[in-house]
Amino acid sequence: MKNLMGGAAAIALMSGAAFAGGHLPIEPGSGDYDWTAYDEFAANTDLSGQSLSITGPWTGDEKAKFDAVVALFAEATGAEAEYSGSDSFEQDIVIAAEAGSAPNLAVFPQPGLAADMAARGQLSPLPEGTSEFVAENFAAGQSWVDLGTYANASGEDELFGMFYRVDLKSLVWYVPEAFEENDYEIPETMEELIALSDQIVEDGGTPWCIGLGSGAATGWPATDWVEDMMLRTQPPEVYDAWVANELSFDSPEVIGAIEAYGQFARNEDYVAGGGETAASTDFRDSPNGLFEVPPACYMHRQASFIPAFFPEGTEVGEDVDFFYFPAFEGQDLGSPVLGAGTLFSITNPSDTANAFIEFLKLPIAHEAWMTQGGFLTAHGGVNADLYADDALRGQAEIIQGATTFRFDGSDLMPGEIGAGAFWTGMVDYTTGASAEEVAAGIQERWDAIK
Amino acid sequence: MDNIAGTKSSLGWAVNIAVVAMVLLWIIPTVGLLVSSFRDRDAISASGWWLAPFATEQSYRARAGAEGVPDGDAFVVTGNIFDEAGATGSLSAFGVRGRAPGEFPVGTVADLGDGETLTMQANGDYEFRTPEEPDGRGQRIYFLAETPPDFTLENYDTVLGAGGMAQAFINTLTVTIPATIIPILVAAFAAYALAWMEFPLRGVLIALVVGLLVVPLQLALVPLLSFHTQTASFLNWLFDPDAIFNETSDLWVGDYEGRSFVGVWLAHTGFGLPLAIYLLRNYMVGLPRDIIENARVDGATEFQIFTKVILPLSFPALASFAIFQFLWTWNDLLVAKVFLPDGDAAMVMTRKIADDLLGSRGGDWGILAGAAFVSIAVPLLVFFTMQRYLVRGLLAGSVK
Repeated sequence: MKNLMGGAAAIALMSGAAFAGGHLPIEPGSGDYDWTAYDEFAANTDLSGQSLSITGPWTGDEKAKFDAVVALFAEATGAEAEYSGSDSFEQDIVIAAEAGSAPNLAVFPQPGLAADMAARGQLSPLPEGTSEFVAENFAAGQSWVDLGTYANASGEDELFGMFYRVDLKSLVWYVPEAFEENDYEIPETMEELIALSDQIVEDGGTPWCIGLGSGAATGWPATDWVEDMMLRTQPPEVYDAWVANELSFDSPEVIGAIEAYGQFARNEDYVAGGGETAASTDFRDSPNGLFEVPPACYMHRQASFIPAFFPEGTEVGEDVDFFYFPAFEGQDLGSPVLGAGTLFSITNPSDTANAFIEFLKLPIAHEAWMTQGGFLTAHGGVNADLYADDALRGQAEIIQGATTFRFDGSDLMPGEIGAGAFWTGMVDYTTGASAEEVAAGIQERWDAIK
Repeated sequence: MDNIAGTKSSLGWAVNIAVVAMVLLWIIPTVGLLVSSFRDRDAISASGWWLAPFATEQSYRARAGAEGVPDGDAFVVTGNIFDEAGATGSLSAFGVRGRAPGEFPVGTVADLGDGETLTMQANGDYEFRTPEEPDGRGQRIYFLAETPPDFTLENYDTVLGAGGMAQAFINTLTVTIPATIIPILVAAFAAYALAWMEFPLRGVLIALVVGLLVVPLQLALVPLLSFHTQTASFLNWLFDPDAIFNETSDLWVGDYEGRSFVGVWLAHTGFGLPLAIYLLRNYMVGLPRDIIENARVDGATEFQIFTKVILPLSFPALASFAIFQFLWTWNDLLVAKVFLPDGDAAMVMTRKIADDLLGSRGGDWGILAGAAFVSIAVPLLVFFTMQRYLVRGLLAGSVK
């Protein structure tokens, strides 16, 4: 345990320092990357002396990985490109855009927020031809175009967002060894999952680790739970109606999903300390319980990006693995999958910003992060062998096997709800408020902004 | 008449006890933070900082080696578990299941079923016997060990060694020093005028300043930044022949930028002024009228009175406000995030710590404690150097 955790700081530090030296983490021409398109792009694009600023939600280790991608862009174009991440990105970008000092590009973790800003005229449409490109080259392309298309200030639909990094949310992480030692089986259905949780409690363990803390975005992990539960208790049409608020937030269907989440999070047998502890634990720390001796918990439901926060040296597939967060056998809703993604938008138009969007269409822009791990893409032209591990390839398979794929609902709701009321409401619910009260409060906020 | 100068209060002991209690109350969290900053993450989560000087029992997991030596009809794997786990200490119990890491006491021969046995000694030597040749990864072993107290400088190494930390330190100074001096300069003039110069609407102005004290600065972020960007746009149009007109934002884009060090100085100045004026004015108004009237009679101008009489006498008040303002700007994250450009070139320490160091590792308490101590080192230094001005007799010798 000790040596697993011990090196974490040092390694992350070294990876940060490596870029400061200015040499490329991935040398053009090396490896199985797609260099032809890159060389062509480099030959046709000269932006020497110009600069490009990008802000986004990736900090620390994730920033270091994205810096490698930015470095390739700078190398190809001669532009001075800099990415800076912020823990409170959602707030910072709104202030910057309102005040007219926005960076060239913003990486939104929330389509809802991007749509808000597009409606206020703070985003510029992506270069011509981008929507055709995405529709043709991304897996399920048209759905990604739809998710990036919003009404502009005068109410016309335009493509404002290009999806770059996709996350798969319906995953449960576990330590295979801990399961083996106790003869636990991977549950195939939600009924089995609940039975397994009860079994772990009976054996004197704590089945779940849940952490909702995330700085200014505290509460979002709970919204993912509720969305997953919604997809597992209601047909996808109801989910879509809920996200569009055609179905009221305080309707019984939604309250049922919130309470289905509460059965896990508010159960003191399932989560050490119950809801209070879940709400005050940082989502980045909560998976660490899996690796403690004796295990503080056995399962952790979190999206595909979470291995970035596991202790250093943890090998996905060996030390830790995942299974699909199963559906209720009794509901006959197939196997729904919840996903999400970050999108690039132009917040301050310039030639360099357009060029970067063109750069993101190249497979190399995706492959450069794929090899570093913690990255899934919808881009169809990438070399899948470059995924850092089998786990990521396995996740790609889950997406293929889904009978229903739905985008993270809170990301699609208006920013005020999906990046505000829903988050805080779920913290209130998790710490003891009633589901009806919380749902009614969120609906009230939604009515107020209509 | 108990409290006549020169007589000791009969309740002196109560005062002393109260003072000691308050000091302890204030100092304990700081000591805890200091101790934690020298411990690694595992140690912090295993025991409280007050247990740091003592040996603690921690649980570990490791794997036995995978090389078996044939011995009769079994294979034997031997080695030292502390080497495998990279730990030190004295082993007290061991097990092979995560749920019961201390199932078997040290020295016993544990029967693991399937003819496998494991025995371990206090120094960590183990002997694992298995009827089949071990392959792949070795046997998983959990163990409890008394670990001697272990202090490390690793946290400080991480914080100070992070790429760009030196630059961030300089940037913080670049923000803090002007953001402390400018408001003091402005506020001292204003405070003198409000305290000692006769002019119409003086009372209204004072009331206005007091009113501004309660305006939260968050309210002003967007309008102020917007003002800065428009000013920069105007300067670009005026002085910068290369400026480009951006139609979407209606701004001239060029060398002058809305988010800059000058912008953050002005913002801090604006946010600090109400308190500074209020504090200094109240102090100056309490200075003896005789001194100022004497100076007037002697023919001093208002400016001379201000520089020769008021400023030297107000030094303690200036110093105490300087400490306040310095600490507040040093620790500030919000204003720096909003008014400074993104990127390493203008990244201050608070942002470096919050976004670069802690961004993805929110719960790394050791780093957090180390960063806290690195960042309070300078304010502490400032406080202790300025502190003597605070306690120096306020008007000693000036009035007979």
